Amino acid sequence: MTESTGGLEHRVRGVDHVAFPTFDPAATVRFYRDVLGFPVVHSICAAGWGPEHHPDFIHFFFDIGNDDRIAFFYYFGTENPTRGDKGDAYAKFAADVPEYFVRSRHLAIHVENEEDLLEYRRRLDASDWPVEMQIQHETIESIYTHDPNGYFFEITRAMRPVTPQEDLDATLTIDALLDVLDRPEPTFGKLLARKAELIVDRAAGWQPAEPAGTAGWETVVR
Amino acid sequence: MSTLYVLDIPENTAVATIAAEDPTVVVDKIGPYFEIRADGPLVVDRRATGCRHAVWYSCVAGVAPGDVITQHDKDALRVESA
Repeated sequence: MTESTGGLEHRVRGVDHVAFPTFDPAATVRFYRDVLGFPVVHSICAAGWGPEHHPDFIHFFFDIGNDDRIAFFYYFGTENPTRGDKGDAYAKFAADVPEYFVRSRHLAIHVENEEDLLEYRRRLDASDWPVEMQIQHETIESIYTHDPNGYFFEITRAMRPVTPQEDLDATLTIDALLDVLDRPEPTFGKLLARKAELIVDRAAGWQPAEPAGTAGWETVVR
Repeated sequence: MSTLYVLDIPENTAVATIAAEDPTVVVDKIGPYFEIRADGPLVVDRRATGCRHAVWYSCVAGVAPGDVITQHDKDALRVESA
């Protein structure tokens, strides 16, 4: 993996916690603990302190599997300071901000298989926060809803393992992207042209770390 | 000449297979990529590939410099010389 990591040893071990504000902690506990069944694993009750007139707060954590955690801040006596027509408890936007942008920042939690994905779909559909979409993307299948704070929430499963050639492809994509960003007016077309050059230069000599298990291309090539 | 590169993963195999049905098209491999070439415009019919939309709209890995995608919609992918 030297090429994909730039030669640096990869020492990190996943998400410790990701944290969000909540102005509806009761619904937040219902959603994560009582609907989804994510255990409460940690909490901090802290008196306000510091130079900024920080409010008293509760910082509480739910286990999202793999010992990773999602955490929330509830600030006593505080109204949401954000303003806007749409968005979530952390960020609001004017009505004309496109939905693809508003939804771009989201948390996706991994499950092992389709059975587990559908189990969480059942739990959500029986709650006040039913699944809004179930989509098969390129290689993953996901369910989506918004949590009580308006945070866009995804649970996803891999439909197959990632193949070694997809790691190569990701490396070439990023190298091509950095190249076109160094030039005037980057476009998707320029990225595909640069990536074609990198494929010709680098893909022929590529060897998978393990058998690629691809789908019989010999029958296609002629 | 129109040249298209597609990564060889299970979801994309049908793109190369359907492209290869056109007698003017040649499909080769460069490492784990299909190199799909045609002397004139290169056209792949989406419905014939059976690709769902997410796969279809992300199946192109590269287009040779000098060629451009002139159509990539629910009906077809078309690559030709600029």
